[in-house]
Amino acid sequence: MDGLPLLPTTVVGSYPVPEWMERLKTEYFRGKMSHAQLQDVHEMAIKAALRDQELARIDIVSDGELRRDNDLDYFLARMPGIEIAHTAKDFYFDYFDTRVNAPLPAPDGPAPLGLADDFAFTDSQTDRPIKFSFTGPFSLSRRVRDEAYADRRDLVLAIARILNAEAHALAARGARLLQIDEPFLAGYPNELGTAVEAINIVTAGVDVTWGLHVCYGNRYARPSWEGHYDFLFPAVLDAAVDQLVLEFARKGHDDLPVVEKHGWDRVLGVGVVDVKTDQIETPALIASRIRLALEFVPADRLVVNPDCGLRNLTGAVARAKLAAMVAGTAQVRRSLAGDSVENPAVENPAVDDAAHDKGAFGEGAPR
Amino acid sequence: MLVDFRPHTRLRGTKPVDLTTSLVPVVEALGEGAVDLAKVRVVSDWVQYRENFRDVVDLRPILHSAPAGGGAVPVPMGAREDDLEVAVDVRRSHDVALKELTATLLRSAPDRAVLEGWGRGSESLVWDFNALYWSALELWEKATGCGYEQALPGGESDARNRDAARELIDGLFAVWDRLSASNALPEELYVVELGVGNGSQAKVFLDEFRDRDREHGRGYYRRLHYLMCDYSQHVLDLARETVAEHIAHVSSFALDATRPRTSLGFLQYKVFLVYISNVYDNLPTDEVAHLGGRTYCVQTRAYLPAGEAAELAGSVAASTQELPALVHKLLRLGPALLPEAAAAHFPDVDSAVGFWRRAWAALRLEERYVPLPGLDTYPLTPVTGRVGQIPLSGELLRPLLESGADVRMHVNNGALASFVDSLMLLHPFGTLVCHDLFVTDIEGYRTHFRGPGKYDGSVVNWVNGPLLAHVGRRRGFDVHYDRFRHRTGGNIVTMTAQVRD
Repeated sequence: MDGLPLLPTTVVGSYPVPEWMERLKTEYFRGKMSHAQLQDVHEMAIKAALRDQELARIDIVSDGELRRDNDLDYFLARMPGIEIAHTAKDFYFDYFDTRVNAPLPAPDGPAPLGLADDFAFTDSQTDRPIKFSFTGPFSLSRRVRDEAYADRRDLVLAIARILNAEAHALAARGARLLQIDEPFLAGYPNELGTAVEAINIVTAGVDVTWGLHVCYGNRYARPSWEGHYDFLFPAVLDAAVDQLVLEFARKGHDDLPVVEKHGWDRVLGVGVVDVKTDQIETPALIASRIRLALEFVPADRLVVNPDCGLRNLTGAVARAKLAAMVAGTAQVRRSLAGDSVENPAVENPAVDDAAHDKGAFGEGAPR
Repeated sequence: MLVDFRPHTRLRGTKPVDLTTSLVPVVEALGEGAVDLAKVRVVSDWVQYRENFRDVVDLRPILHSAPAGGGAVPVPMGAREDDLEVAVDVRRSHDVALKELTATLLRSAPDRAVLEGWGRGSESLVWDFNALYWSALELWEKATGCGYEQALPGGESDARNRDAARELIDGLFAVWDRLSASNALPEELYVVELGVGNGSQAKVFLDEFRDRDREHGRGYYRRLHYLMCDYSQHVLDLARETVAEHIAHVSSFALDATRPRTSLGFLQYKVFLVYISNVYDNLPTDEVAHLGGRTYCVQTRAYLPAGEAAELAGSVAASTQELPALVHKLLRLGPALLPEAAAAHFPDVDSAVGFWRRAWAALRLEERYVPLPGLDTYPLTPVTGRVGQIPLSGELLRPLLESGADVRMHVNNGALASFVDSLMLLHPFGTLVCHDLFVTDIEGYRTHFRGPGKYDGSVVNWVNGPLLAHVGRRRGFDVHYDRFRHRTGGNIVTMTAQVRD
């Protein structure tokens, strides 16, 4: 995280999908639009999403995951060994019915999912540091009908090995911050051990900053699960990741002490924007949420982000929420600067701009 | 000329409809009139509701542009632009001199006491009558001598069915057992009923719940919170008496069914069962039509036929010209206050109730088709800017209209608003169950009349099942329709919505 301002702001990953784009994506899955045309649409949309984030002065931007039809299919459809009986969809956001009837082939040669190319396009369109997220092996496995493995854990680990190859390719193309999303994990707390084992396979030998995002689900802007983050601990302490990116704004901050109590001494991405409501938070509310988090995590280990991806919001609402998040963060930076003169990056536009040089983002934090 | 004979099944059977008497006279009248026959549609329905808002023959103008303007909007190429629709109620057509009636209507507009301007169906004052019926139900029932449930087609609400209640409860217990096993069951278990009526359904549910819980042995009854919700505080008070033995587990809320979260927002994502019975068919609705390649909003305006209007005015010592104002006063104040506000016309409450009932019986709706400049310009629910309101764009209608085939269907705006707001209450493992009159396939609009009709003092329209299913789907829910299994006969369908994926 070197070179970024104190309390860097970022997104979790996804960005709003406009209704017109949903229609075009659906047309593609109904066979009424060519792949090349859809790619063009995606690239235009990614450029616009990056521009929105830059205008909002988000410190670490993402491609908005706008190429993806949902959190699973983009990866599974490209994964050798995963079978999809029906590749047409009535609505692009629907999940494919996927199955595996033979062990997945071990990754050999170029990374098959093509994530590095996706990153490279984003990298060519912005000077800001980039967070590149992808769904983790546990969540990717959950909807795959497993007819190949005696133990489902083996499927999870096989997917992890494929994702590790993708991560190597991403790092080779210059990715510096990779995030593993595990939106299904909260529904299966008893399987956390397998999930962590798989995460460590994904990150092995890939020298970047690694984030792990765990939420309670955001499909159609609804929680898929309920509960508390207690279930993550202590197992998640064994995960070879640098950041834990969690949801707090919607659920309240009762779980913040949990993170501290269990000795999480790495970076915490604190969710301060509720992505399941159209109500725009005020900067003051954002600031109060950050200050609450600061009671448990020091400022140099805190990243500010929404609870989850923004895909279910309208563009206007997402932009307003990001603007509020940045403004609220600025308030806290100002007050911290008042507390200490030892933070030269705090709310100094010149320093902020320097921090947005992606070269300053080169080294992964030690794990 | 296009002729659309929707109740085609009635052309067969022991008493088949005779086209020569039910339809041909209309065509003959058109042939002898001055209208451009190339731009006429003739539509025949079988209006099954004995009390309804239609005449035997109605003329419906088809406008080529919206009266408000709003700039040039592309008209689809190849669209057929008719001028007029002639609607015939086949069930009653043999009782009148059909050709003469049609010819008279074609010659000149009939004399009527118009009660409002043109507008979307959901904005018509028929919904004020509907609301008045529920808020002053006691007076209506006193005048008619029978309860509202007797006006329902089956004579009682299906909500009282014990087998249906047991099935729901067993489903809840199964979910709760699973959540309990993973330590994810909340301490408080919420069930919401919208449209609680006299509390009979709540009592059946709670009685059965208590009994099943005793057998099940998990203590769920102790944790249960049953929330009875209704438009009328008076009805809620009666319902609370009905469930008196369960009162420690029951709360009641007076609320508008179209916006349950205004009172229940604190229960967002916490409710395991939202139960609704015979509510959606009684909520305001528009109709839209796709005709000849263009999409139209069906605009309506309420009126009283001249003869009935004169008789009604005479009965309250008023002129026909005074009638609209008196009707509006009735709808604003209700019959209990009308004698105070218009003592010259209403000496007592009974006379006001009599006026109300006669006005309702005579009430009709004129219709016309107004082109929609674009589905996105048509909000399915009023745009209020209210915090938390879920906007519903007319774009949601597109999948139902995109085949391009002619269809006229209900939008059920009130039901839609209620449905999406209720979904926000549901726990990730919650279920919404609704018993109502659903059209489960768009084809159902092409063969049967789906409303509006009159149930006693209220309005009934069938509910557009494919539209609710589509809207639910776009919110992550699977929506299923099944015939109500616990009573043979009848048209009640059970809609179930649960989170998919």
